[in-house]
Amino acid sequence: MLSVWGAVLIFLIVGVIFGVGGMLAGYILAPRRKSAQKSIAYECGVDTIGPTWVQFRTSYFLYALLFVIFDVEIIYLYPWAIKFQSLGLFAFVEMIIFLAILVVGLWYAWKEGAFEWT
Amino acid sequence: MQMDFSVIIPEIAMVSLGVLVLILGLILPKKSLPRLGWFTSFSLIGILALVVLNWNNVGTVSGGLYLIDQFSQFFKVIFLTAAILVVFGSMAYVDKHLGGQAEYYSILVFSTLGMMVMASANDFITMYLGLELMTISFIVLVCFRRNDSESLEAGMKYVLLAGISSAVLLYGLSLIYGIAGTVLVVEVGMILAVQQSLPLLLVGVVMLVAGLGFKIAAVPFHMWAPDVYQGAPTPITSFLAVGSKMASFAILIRIFVLGMFGVSLSWGILMAILAGVTIIIGNLVAIPQTNIKRLMAYSGIAQAGYILVGMVTASQAGVKAIMFYGFIYIFAVVGVFTAISYYYNLTGSDEIKDYAGLSQRSPLMAATMVVSMLTMAGIPPFAGFVGKFYLFMTVVENYLWLAIIGLIMSMVSVYYYLMVVLVMYRDRPQDSSPIVVSLPVRMTLIFTMLVSVVLGVYPGPLSEIINKAALSFFMH
Amino acid sequence: MPTPSITLEHYLILGAVLFGIGLFGVLTKKNAIAVLISIELMLCAVNINLLAFNKYITPEAFIGQIFAIFVITVAAAEVGVGLAIIIAIYRNRLNINLEDFDWLKW
Repeated sequence: MLSVWGAVLIFLIVGVIFGVGGMLAGYILAPRRKSAQKSIAYECGVDTIGPTWVQFRTSYFLYALLFVIFDVEIIYLYPWAIKFQSLGLFAFVEMIIFLAILVVGLWYAWKEGAFEWT
Repeated sequence: MQMDFSVIIPEIAMVSLGVLVLILGLILPKKSLPRLGWFTSFSLIGILALVVLNWNNVGTVSGGLYLIDQFSQFFKVIFLTAAILVVFGSMAYVDKHLGGQAEYYSILVFSTLGMMVMASANDFITMYLGLELMTISFIVLVCFRRNDSESLEAGMKYVLLAGISSAVLLYGLSLIYGIAGTVLVVEVGMILAVQQSLPLLLVGVVMLVAGLGFKIAAVPFHMWAPDVYQGAPTPITSFLAVGSKMASFAILIRIFVLGMFGVSLSWGILMAILAGVTIIIGNLVAIPQTNIKRLMAYSGIAQAGYILVGMVTASQAGVKAIMFYGFIYIFAVVGVFTAISYYYNLTGSDEIKDYAGLSQRSPLMAATMVVSMLTMAGIPPFAGFVGKFYLFMTVVENYLWLAIIGLIMSMVSVYYYLMVVLVMYRDRPQDSSPIVVSLPVRMTLIFTMLVSVVLGVYPGPLSEIINKAALSFFMH
Repeated sequence: MPTPSITLEHYLILGAVLFGIGLFGVLTKKNAIAVLISIELMLCAVNINLLAFNKYITPEAFIGQIFAIFVITVAAAEVGVGLAIIIAIYRNRLNINLEDFDWLKW
């Protein structure tokens, strides 16, 4: 009689075989013919221009940072949205104030040129 | 749900002020931005007046999560006073070296708000929020000179160490929440008083001490302080030295004296050792420093040790002593740092040897630095003596060795403070042209010096007020 | 054979191990971003603790869950500031290796 954990173990083993086995089969069966054409970086089938190790512009990081911050603040909206019916007007006003403060932050970011792509 | 909002009007006003300053910075033309400093300082004075007028308007908000008593009112007065003095003292510095007035003053207001929330917080969540609001604001302020590598490096060190310390602190808080089943400090206190000591509780206490030790810069968690103090813009250094430290003491008192009163035996001795080591290391390492900001950083570490002495006995006398010393400490620190930052504005140097002959160039700045430093050293006519007297009296009975360490090390501190004084009064200046001190800086210097002298000669009324405030702390 | 179930201890051990890994990373890593990641690991450990205590100690109140939400958001803000500083430093010095940050004495 297998315990619950035995089933998990079997699942684990099968999963590992499934994943590793596929890669291994490809490694063994596939023909390997190297050519210069194959070792260049793939970019939608078009030949790449210039070096492929380029640095990303810091503008991407700024976008990412702003996204992370505003994205995570939305977490507060979920509990409020679920209990919206029973919380009533007071919580609604509180949430408006919260969002208003966020909007000021957004306004500031806009004015400082965080969304400009120059 | 009905709440009494009148008790948190100061906090609401602070939020509005912070947002308003930011918006004003967005809509005003560039050339009128320097006026934001005056606007912020007068608004802060108004809010300080609100707190003082509502001194007896005490109560709780959100079912006990937020507690307004005389203890928290007193700490709010400390923070607002420090913020006002820092704004006055930093206007010249900001306009000349930093720019970005709107962001600077807005974030300064928000960090003050964080401190106020910490003073009033009665549960772990609110405490944590206040602490992080303050810390993140300070991180931004520390690296405000964003083209200067030293400032950025200080900010980097501060953000990493602040992150580590909050994580450690949070882990401790989560364990205590698990043991007590509540995050309300008063309830935690009642539950822990009847429960016997668990090993898990001990782990939690150690983690809390470590996490908060970082924030108050107690040895062995002090490594960040000298670097951050040196790299940060000077007005921010003074705010960091008083505001951050006193706010952390506010929650340290709240958690330990109120929440863990029942197990005070297990942490009293820990605090005593921490205080002793902090006093010794801080004072000894301060002696060989050549940069005035680093010297003040180590002296600040030593001061944290003195204040920690008041925690050891977990008594009303101890809490009162901490509050009294904290009040004196702001004026001493802000006085010294205002002079330092104004001198840096003129000469671009923080080295002690460049202070040669300051007494001939500007008697006011030299005198303020002398009075403030002697206050910190605890020399009798000045206020620091009274504060240290209250602190050490609390431990004379049970921890006599700690009081003796404190006294000896105070004598040591006189040595390195006097070295600075000697440079200012004995040596000849290279450039002997007199220094003209601008109006807001002159106001700040004279005011801090007067307070240090007056409170030293006549501490009675303040002591009475603080006695009542400390009593209110134990009334829950 | 009785079915072994997951108890509070399991969660606490997971939390403690995760916290230990994070602390180890904080103390040994030389790259500022790796240190930030390690701090996040420590905060994850705290969240696991909070949620486990919420489930086993105070199942009727949501204290731990609310605490965890606040920890997540504040951590995001802190990391945002940290990364912004790292970008600024990189612009100034083209390097984020902590060992090279000795302009101020460590």
